[in-house]
Amino acid sequence: MGFNLDFALSTIPTIMEALGTTLLATVLSCLGASALGFTLEMIRRGGGAPGLAVRFLIDFIRSTPVLAWLYFLYFVMPFYGIRLGAMTVGILGLSLYYSGYLAEVFKAGIDAIPKGQQEAARALSLNRRDTVVFVIAPQMLRNVAAPLGNYLVSILKATPYLAILAVPEMLGRAFDIASETYRYAEPLTVAGILFLGLALIVAYGVKRVEQRLLAAGRR
Amino acid sequence: MSTFNIWLGILQGLGTTAQVTAYGLVFAVPFALVFGVAQFLTTGMTRFLVTAIIEFWRSSAVVVLLFVFYYVLPVMGITLSALTVSALVLGLNTGGYASQAVRAGLQSLPAGQREAGMALGLSRLAILLLIELPQALIAMGPTFINNLIQLVKATSLVSLVTLTDMTFRAKEIAQTNYDPVAIYSALLLAFFVVCYPIALAGRWLEARIQS
Amino acid sequence: MLAQAPHPLSADQSMPHVRIHGLNKWFGAVHVLKDIDLTIRAGARIVVCGPSGSGKSTLIRCINGLEAFQKGKIEYEATSLGKNTRETAKARRQTGMVFQGFNLFPHLTVLANCTLALRRVLLKPAREAEEIAMRHLTAVRIPEKAKAYPAQLSGGQQQRVAIARALCLNPRVMLFDEPTSALDPEMIKEVLDVMIALARTGVTMVCVTHEMGFAREVADEIVFMDEGRIVEQASSKGFFSGTAHPRARLFLDTVLRH
Ligand SMILES: Nc1ncnc2c1ncn2[C@@H]1O[C@H](COP(=O)(O)OP(=O)(O)O)[C@@H](O)[C@H]1O
Ligand SMILES: [Mg+2]
Repeated sequence: MGFNLDFALSTIPTIMEALGTTLLATVLSCLGASALGFTLEMIRRGGGAPGLAVRFLIDFIRSTPVLAWLYFLYFVMPFYGIRLGAMTVGILGLSLYYSGYLAEVFKAGIDAIPKGQQEAARALSLNRRDTVVFVIAPQMLRNVAAPLGNYLVSILKATPYLAILAVPEMLGRAFDIASETYRYAEPLTVAGILFLGLALIVAYGVKRVEQRLLAAGRR
Repeated sequence: MSTFNIWLGILQGLGTTAQVTAYGLVFAVPFALVFGVAQFLTTGMTRFLVTAIIEFWRSSAVVVLLFVFYYVLPVMGITLSALTVSALVLGLNTGGYASQAVRAGLQSLPAGQREAGMALGLSRLAILLLIELPQALIAMGPTFINNLIQLVKATSLVSLVTLTDMTFRAKEIAQTNYDPVAIYSALLLAFFVVCYPIALAGRWLEARIQS
Repeated sequence: MLAQAPHPLSADQSMPHVRIHGLNKWFGAVHVLKDIDLTIRAGARIVVCGPSGSGKSTLIRCINGLEAFQKGKIEYEATSLGKNTRETAKARRQTGMVFQGFNLFPHLTVLANCTLALRRVLLKPAREAEEIAMRHLTAVRIPEKAKAYPAQLSGGQQQRVAIARALCLNPRVMLFDEPTSALDPEMIKEVLDVMIALARTGVTMVCVTHEMGFAREVADEIVFMDEGRIVEQASSKGFFSGTAHPRARLFLDTVLRH
């Protein structure tokens, strides 16, 4: 029983049906990871005991596998009576895991802004809030856009982990077909190619946006 | 089971985790060196091919890739042990990332380094091996350490293809003990104990390189 | 051009704007400002000079509250700089600061750099803010670059924009910290010309600079600092005619030789 190309092709539409779920998980996880990562970085910057705790948390997250976090959330939350859908748990898990990385991205993005920018804002009597909103944040966003885009691709490539929690994204759908037909090679190969293609397309898009930003920065 | 016994139980999988990591490095290191250097040196069609191979390993989702190779290779008549398939896939995925560090490290060297070598009459190969690579590899040391940590963490995937690593042990223990908090905290802690010292070594290296 | 017309910022010439009494500052254990006394009268044009590391930047940064200090007083007409942050904010609003490195906001156009504080601090409506900004950009002779971004300008142009940006808030005192020392020689003149024109309008200014030609032409008072102290404080005429402190003379010799 070799590789059946016709069968492989026939699985494409079914697996593609789950594209929406994959993309939704990617976008929501990226948003969650950015929001959480930014918050963590702000707390770390604040220093004191909370800053120290967050510093350790970030190190801890970065030293542990995403799969372990997904199991942790999936099995521990019900233990405390928190019942969420697998998709929600998966997005929470990816958000938490990648927040450890995005915190570093935000740190680098803020550190790269010259000290003179804050001083100029102070010399112009801008208050703290205005300094952040009009001076720091726009420059930080420009600095983090490129690495953030790279993490968007990483998160996309991590969404098939959610299949392990039985989320019906593309890999999950491929496994569904496999267990119905007892043929694993074809649907999994199709899923592999689709994920590769998707990752390359998103990476290309990210690069395009990055070049635009660079051009805008050179204005 | 006490929390401590759970932790000991999980650590029984440490051998497999270490084995997959070490075996994975056997694939990752040569791939990173050969393909990173090749991408640096080649041009035109050859470079396109080299880049395509790197991109395949680097841009694929590693979870999917592991399953594809695990299920497709036997169909093609190639039977490898789960350990070998895992080491191959995780290793080459990591090697794909590390190859980019090798290439970037080589590219960031000032052209004067190569010119100085040529002025001394060294061959291109000698320049690469004696002048360029040593500098690039040292400069990229911290990045390689990060790649290594990613590899260690990715080995948690082998639990999905029946290898009894730490993650697999955690799930085994969970089947007989309903204590998810202790079990999965212990799993996280076990990985932390392995990876954090590596991360600290990376920081130490980075600080040394900068000074 | 600014020319001779009285600048709106010029004020009652008799009143001191800023009075500094026994100012002392430490960076950790390093004593960088020692018992500084200085009065900045309305309309004064003070040039501060001295060797590198003598505390010139620190002094000027203390005056507008960018730097905290440990001992002494800086009185600012009605308010004084110190621990009270609201008072500090109020006092700081009366100073304009021009930095050595320009510190323009790279993500904003020249015009937006100038209108930001007008809109957010003085709460001016957009139209009015732009009118004020254009007036000052015209004064520094760069109105045509209003829509450009800082990266598109030369260093001299950027520094002139920075001067306009500081003028927009209508400060009582303009502070300059080596405004030309990050510039290529051919750009120094365009910035100095703008500063000279500004001085002629009667704006109160304190300027850290090693441009002795500028000092001779514009300053009415020269302050020479060394090792955190003001060692010489003289009228411009007195300073250059050779009655200066030996250390100041030595410094002057090295600077003028370049
Ligand atoms: N942020 C700082 N932290 C510690 N020391 C500083 C700091 N800024 C300046 N100093 C020290 O204070 C002294 C005066 O510096 P500065 O005011 O910049 O001198 P100047 O502007 O005359 O060259 C120098 O010895 C300098 O090293
Ligand atoms: Mg200075």
